[in-house]
Amino acid sequence: MTILYLILPLALVFAGAAVAAFAWTVRSGQLDDVETPPRRILFDDERAEAARPPGSFAGDAQSPRPQR
Amino acid sequence: MTAALHAQATCLHCSLPVPAGRRSAFCCAGCEVVHDAIAGYGLDQYYALRDAAAPAPAQTTAYDYAELGDPAFQRLHVRTDPDGTAHTALYLEDLRCTACVWLVESAPRCLAGVTEVRVDLGRSRADVAWDPAATSLPVIARYLDRIGHPVHPYRGLARDALRRREDRSLLIKLGVAGAAAGNLMLLAIALYAGLFGGMSRADTGFFRWASMAVALPALGFAATPFFRTAFGALRARRLHLDLPLSIGILAGLVWGTANVIRGVGEIYFDSLAMLVFLLLAARWIVLRYQRRASTAAELLLSLTPSRAHRIAAGSGQPGDPASDVAIDVPIEALVPGDLVRVLVGEVIPVDGDVVTGISAIDAGLLTGESQPVEVAPGARVHAGTVNVAAPLAIRATAVGFVTRVGRLVAGIEALSTKAPIERLVDRIAGRFVAVVSSIAVLTLFGWSLTSVAAGAEHAMALLIVTCPCALALATPLAVTVALGRAARRGVLIKGADALERLATPGTLFIDKTGTLTAGKLAVVTWRGDLDAAGLASAAEAGSSHPIARALRAHASPSGSARDVREELGRGISAIAGGHSVLVGSPPWVRRRSRTYPVIEGWIAELVERGETPIAVAVDGAMVAVAGLADPIRDDAARALGALGRLGWVVHLLSGDDERVVRRVGAALGIPWSRCHGQVSPEDKALAVVAARAEGTVVMVGDGVNDAAAMAAASASIAVSGAAEIAIEAADVYLRSPSISEVAATAAGAQATLATIRRNLRFSLAYNLVAGALAVTGLIHPLIAAAVMPVSSLTVLASSLRSKAFRERARPEQAQEHV
Repeated sequence: MTILYLILPLALVFAGAAVAAFAWTVRSGQLDDVETPPRRILFDDERAEAARPPGSFAGDAQSPRPQR
Repeated sequence: MTAALHAQATCLHCSLPVPAGRRSAFCCAGCEVVHDAIAGYGLDQYYALRDAAAPAPAQTTAYDYAELGDPAFQRLHVRTDPDGTAHTALYLEDLRCTACVWLVESAPRCLAGVTEVRVDLGRSRADVAWDPAATSLPVIARYLDRIGHPVHPYRGLARDALRRREDRSLLIKLGVAGAAAGNLMLLAIALYAGLFGGMSRADTGFFRWASMAVALPALGFAATPFFRTAFGALRARRLHLDLPLSIGILAGLVWGTANVIRGVGEIYFDSLAMLVFLLLAARWIVLRYQRRASTAAELLLSLTPSRAHRIAAGSGQPGDPASDVAIDVPIEALVPGDLVRVLVGEVIPVDGDVVTGISAIDAGLLTGESQPVEVAPGARVHAGTVNVAAPLAIRATAVGFVTRVGRLVAGIEALSTKAPIERLVDRIAGRFVAVVSSIAVLTLFGWSLTSVAAGAEHAMALLIVTCPCALALATPLAVTVALGRAARRGVLIKGADALERLATPGTLFIDKTGTLTAGKLAVVTWRGDLDAAGLASAAEAGSSHPIARALRAHASPSGSARDVREELGRGISAIAGGHSVLVGSPPWVRRRSRTYPVIEGWIAELVERGETPIAVAVDGAMVAVAGLADPIRDDAARALGALGRLGWVVHLLSGDDERVVRRVGAALGIPWSRCHGQVSPEDKALAVVAARAEGTVVMVGDGVNDAAAMAAASASIAVSGAAEIAIEAADVYLRSPSISEVAATAAGAQATLATIRRNLRFSLAYNLVAGALAVTGLIHPLIAAAVMPVSSLTVLASSLRSKAFRERARPEQAQEHV
């Protein structure tokens, strides 16, 4: 059973590391919004090249009556 | 066959059926514009990503968002990095699904100068970063609008940062407590196993020291919120539930440490860690629900208009929409002396004098008056009122906080005398501390007769096992379940305190406008020639006056009108259906046509009943009279009955005309003595303060005129369409402006309190059993470890069984969008 005297502190060090990692994820804001990121993984990168090059937005010329 | 296919055609953009007869692949023009924009940017992948469910027609406004580029706006809402990148947060409408997120976040690909867009779906918010040299915020806003997400500035960023810090700190403590609880339980299992299976003294000691090494730092850190509140309460000589909690936790830590060092006696570290973890988890859940409710309320604030049309100096005839140049500026940029144009249907942004234009002003939100007031050049108008008839140009005399609305708002702070109520659990906690500590002393001395060590052991065990974990969970769990269910049916409750205040029946003041009535003028009585209704409707076809709208809704126009001449505040004359038709106020019509005694009788009858009479003359003779009023909601009588059964005494407290208030009261069976009309905002607050001497007072309101009274009441409810300030002053916000939701809220609050009481009984029963075992010396750490979670789970089950807000909202209420 003497091996316990090595394994137990080692296990607690691992647990401490896990807690530290958790604290880091929280502090860096990764858990502020848990709703949107799971959806982002669904995005497909392939069609990105098919999109028009930047700067093609032409909607600027037309801004009719501000009726809101 | 073709017809059948056509009937099933669905919109390419939103999948709603395309209306029959519309020769298009889209259900509406909005969807077509949005689809073209999306396809034009090569973002068709949107349609592949999108959830099939949740169809809704696209919204796009073609608004130019010029005010977002104004320096005054930029100063307030835009943050610039050292490298020149500008950041702001925007609130986007219609953010619903994965595809919306993708579409919005694709903006940098389609718009030069946009560095990054990050969407937060839960908050309907997008953080935008851009290069001010390459593009501007109005361009970005126009782009987002074109792809179907109209944009509003996101207010309350400072509050957001504060909350985020709070949330993160609690979450870290929760994580630490959870990890400690899990590891301590593993160590405890080894110890219990050793207890039965035999374990060397050295090994046992090692495990006990290891437990202490985990428990002391972890719990010392994670339980700080409880210690801090308990200490604060002690210093303020108040009672708080955190006090017995802290005593239990501290006693456990100290006694456990002493026993580890002594090498004998029980340690309770595993139960303590589990307890701290459960308590923090409950706090975390409650905080999340409160955040969600207040975020929803803040989004409503973001939706309120923040811009004004300022007429550029020297740009031709002021106020003439054809010749002058108005630029949109944020309200913050206006100064006294500015000339402001207010279009029909817009809220007047400043206090000022009318320069040009003749119109009608709906001051309902400010004064409670339901009838529009006519204004002409020279008239004084106030911020917060609505222009209903024709465009106006107004010279600002006061802006911002010095307007009448601003002063009313400032007065609210002084009136807000809502002392934090002494919560039920805190009262119990007080007695709890007294009882438990005196029993602990008795136990100590009782057992000391045989052995002092046994006395100390059992007294400490008592303090630890009676640590009121379930008691602390009883309220948050019940409240969380109630808040969650209420939010789902469109009732946003800002905190647990409001629920407790709403649960005790007392006096309920209702501002009539908007809650009991439909909030729109309608023809409620028609006396005389029925055919004249169609002619009147035809004559009023082109007018945007509220009376004209009511007449049009009453009857479909018979034929078209020509030679229409509208005299504001008096009436309208036209040739409709081959007849000359006059529609207007009785004196005006009377001067232009013949009248008869029977018609004059009708007019007197309508005035007596609090309705507005509108006379109709055809070919020079008065033939009919319409009685206009704000009709009573269908569900009002039933809801008032339900409130009465719950024990509430309902009063009407309105700024509206006395006769109108009495008409509504009579229709709903409220006695005259409880109908108060023509009450000024200040008197409303005084009435509330006076009634508070006799118990709970709840104020239901929607206008700026109610805000002071709402702040003075024990609890206040704002209804949909309420003024910004009323939403801010309210404890509860109802998405549907109906009185039956008020009744449901009151009933739900009572049911929640009943659940809380049941939870408290459960947890006190557990403490009684555990305490008795501890006093008699029969308690064992294993039993303590079992009893604590079981008591918490019982409370959880009891909370989920709560009847509060159980019944589903009717579909049309559930559908209503923020």
